[in-house]
Amino acid sequence: MKLKQMRQQLDSKEIGAKELAFEYIEKIKIDEFNSFITVCEDSALQTADAAQKMINAGESKALTGIPLSVKDNICTKGIRTTCASRMLEDFVPPYDAAVVDKLNSQKAVIVGKTNMDEFAMGGSSQTSYFGGVKNPADSSRVPGGSSGGAAASVAAGLCAAALGSDTGGSIRQPASFCGVTGLKPTYGRVSRFGLIAFASSFDQIGPIASCAEDAGYVLNVIAGADKNDMTSSERETEDFTSRCGMSVKGLKIGLPKEFFENGVQEDVAKAVLLAADKLKSEGAQIIECSLPSLEYAVSAYYLISSAEAASNLARFDGVKYGHRSKNGDSYSELIENSRNEGFGDEVKRRILLGNYALSSGYYDAYYKNASRIRTKIKGDYSGLFEKCDVILTPTAPTTAYKIGFQENDPVKMYMSDICTVTANIAGLPSISIPCGADESNMPIGMSITGNYYNESLIIGVADAYEKLR
Amino acid sequence: MSYIPVIGLEIHAELLTDSKVFCGCANEFGGDANTRVCPRCSGLPGTLPILNKQAVVLAARAGLAIDGRVNNYSSFDRKNYFYPDLPKAYQITQFENPICTGGYIEIDGKKLRIHHLHIEEDAGKLVHDDYEGISMADYNRCGVPLIEIVTEPDFRSVEEVQKFVEQMALRLKYAGVCDAKMEQGSMRVDVNISIMPAGSTVFGTRAEIKNLNSIKAIGRAIEYEIKRQSEILDSGGTVVQETRRFNDNHGDTKALRSKEEAHDYRYFPEPDIPPVFMSDEEIDTIRKSMPEMPNKRFLRYTQEYGLTAEEANLIVSDRAFSDLYDECCFEGKCYKKTASLMLVGLNRLLNDTQESVSDIKFGASELSKLASLWDENKINSNSAMEILERMFRSGGDPAEIAEKNGMIMTDNTDELSGIVDKVLSENADAVEGYKNGNAKLFGFLMGRVIAEVGKSANPAAIKKILSEKI
Repeated sequence: MKLKQMRQQLDSKEIGAKELAFEYIEKIKIDEFNSFITVCEDSALQTADAAQKMINAGESKALTGIPLSVKDNICTKGIRTTCASRMLEDFVPPYDAAVVDKLNSQKAVIVGKTNMDEFAMGGSSQTSYFGGVKNPADSSRVPGGSSGGAAASVAAGLCAAALGSDTGGSIRQPASFCGVTGLKPTYGRVSRFGLIAFASSFDQIGPIASCAEDAGYVLNVIAGADKNDMTSSERETEDFTSRCGMSVKGLKIGLPKEFFENGVQEDVAKAVLLAADKLKSEGAQIIECSLPSLEYAVSAYYLISSAEAASNLARFDGVKYGHRSKNGDSYSELIENSRNEGFGDEVKRRILLGNYALSSGYYDAYYKNASRIRTKIKGDYSGLFEKCDVILTPTAPTTAYKIGFQENDPVKMYMSDICTVTANIAGLPSISIPCGADESNMPIGMSITGNYYNESLIIGVADAYEKLR
Repeated sequence: MSYIPVIGLEIHAELLTDSKVFCGCANEFGGDANTRVCPRCSGLPGTLPILNKQAVVLAARAGLAIDGRVNNYSSFDRKNYFYPDLPKAYQITQFENPICTGGYIEIDGKKLRIHHLHIEEDAGKLVHDDYEGISMADYNRCGVPLIEIVTEPDFRSVEEVQKFVEQMALRLKYAGVCDAKMEQGSMRVDVNISIMPAGSTVFGTRAEIKNLNSIKAIGRAIEYEIKRQSEILDSGGTVVQETRRFNDNHGDTKALRSKEEAHDYRYFPEPDIPPVFMSDEEIDTIRKSMPEMPNKRFLRYTQEYGLTAEEANLIVSDRAFSDLYDECCFEGKCYKKTASLMLVGLNRLLNDTQESVSDIKFGASELSKLASLWDENKINSNSAMEILERMFRSGGDPAEIAEKNGMIMTDNTDELSGIVDKVLSENADAVEGYKNGNAKLFGFLMGRVIAEVGKSANPAAIKKILSEKI
């Protein structure tokens, strides 16, 4: 059911907010995909009561009474927020993230906190301290990551929509793997306050939903300037669903060739090109183009994001909150043991990589050069947007793979982020929507990337494609 | 062998903002541990820094106070290191693009150059309980806004350093940037010092002495360090680059960590704070709001107002005092008399009552009138000081006080002649003695006349008549 429909049914009292919440909570309780770390049964039912009162008073807002899941790296006051890490197993934030505050003020019903890769580092949702997530389309396969729990929760119908976070593809890739829609907004569009930072200059919160219009519908609520986040944009928000139903006639769609090479699975490339053909038949103009800097994107992304992560995660020392080791007689022993016990392998790998890239004597070769590549990628994109309205690419080089297939091969894992990282490096908005299936019937996703703050357009184009499908 | 010290300074000054630099907690001194702490300054996950604009303006003012350049573009960086008083495990500072560059303070005709000035956050404090064997963290100071002023290695003597630091403290106070209370730690000095043989131009290996918190400690630490390094070199050793701590009780410095043990701070641009842009117009607005600096005032007082260097120094050493002096002088132009009233009378009254200039019950215009009355010979100096005291105790208009208490000097020659005649006839012996050559007796007779006339006595007029009549 689309969110607008659910809104109508709630407002016309065809369904009650509490019954709806109850229904979803019961489904979550028998979730076989391990999508959730924490189920918020009591608070969800209480919020549903309050939502019903708003509805009865005729004061409902867009998300009043609508059951949503929130990724477990987004702080929720009084509800533990773990980042899927042993380090924060018992961390209960004393504040709400800005986006949660917005959901709460509308009495949206947060049904639970979704599972993820530890500290959002990974593309499989298998690095969680609370166990891996399974793909609802085939439970022997990964759901993608890091917002794997969020994507699975939408795909499995455990919530109406989800909030995830995207640092290098963490919303779009799992959406693609699970056959749902994921939107990473422009950097700065949504406040990061209360999002436990992984890589601050890339992180962005966004929705995962059943369709493009729903993604826009949720973005309408969470977008906007926030005085608690200096990197949030002052730019006016708009109705991001306003271009749903648009015609693609005359729309210039760029297909940068590098995104269809570099180890992209054949049927994935084929499906995206087929989608381009369909849009072309509706009058869109397909423009062959190139993003030569893509070659360096993954390296640049991993250097900068790991550097920021190493610094962001240094605060977890077991002194103030979080996991504290029982062993260690001195301060340095205490933090060494706490961090050693509290973090998983992938997180440690990134911390090591990041500190290495920043260390004296290596900074220029690694961090500085990566920053130059970042500038180059931004420049390349701005060139592309001079001749194209949107860019169409695969979301991931492959479809969902079998659990245990490549999670232990970091370089292979990192390379599979190639299609998504550039949107984060440049800070551009990008939406992933399903565009077919491979021979094992696993969903294929394609990404529509727009220029800065063009969320309405990419949502409109995605919506147009959905209607052609 | 004789050596010359080469010294550079890093001065940390706490900014007088209302709140901390990246959160809304009050920026104050003292109080119970961890009472001015919030999720932001204690670095809870998910929180983000919000740059305090007042801190940026104050840092710019500091730069202007030392004739530095305020940069149109500045940005923040992270300095990463683990220490339990640093809850985020990084300090937000400015490494690549500081807010101010350059500047200098001139001491005894020598320009001591400033390399740059940047904004950063302070860390918390650790309290060690040796009895219990535990350490506790107090985060009240976490996120208190600091500026760090880094000088060039231009200093060659203790005296230069001490005068520079005193002048720096004064400039920062004038600019309203910092209260510069070294004993409370709101201004702290790190000294980088090396020595080289007299005549050499090649700097030696330096040691850094951390956190000196008094002018005296700076002097003692530098002197100790010169002696220590000289002894090493004289005995054929080499000075190692290291960080040292000064022990105020022993008057010596002890090694804290060597160059090899120095942290690799892994600086990189702070992604949570966008760069700061300041237009030339904004910088100009700040410049226009700056008070005249004490060095400029000193020149004006000595060159235009005819004050002695000592008088001028005393007045400029307190901004409010100097402001009051200036206000009086702009009104009445009685430079010397105003200086006397303030340095002799007012200073004593303030000392006696432990009050400050802001507590004074009269305004500049009253003080200016008082100086004029004295300057125009309407009252004598004793009366001037007495009126000042009365105004200090209970306010009031100086002319009225003079009038009411008969302090307006009389120049009625007839009346004075009568009194002089009377005194001369009553003190025939003294008159005789004076005529016989005892010149001192003139003073005695003057005193007798003044006593007879009372507070309105005009010593000059009396002297004239007495000389004529005797």
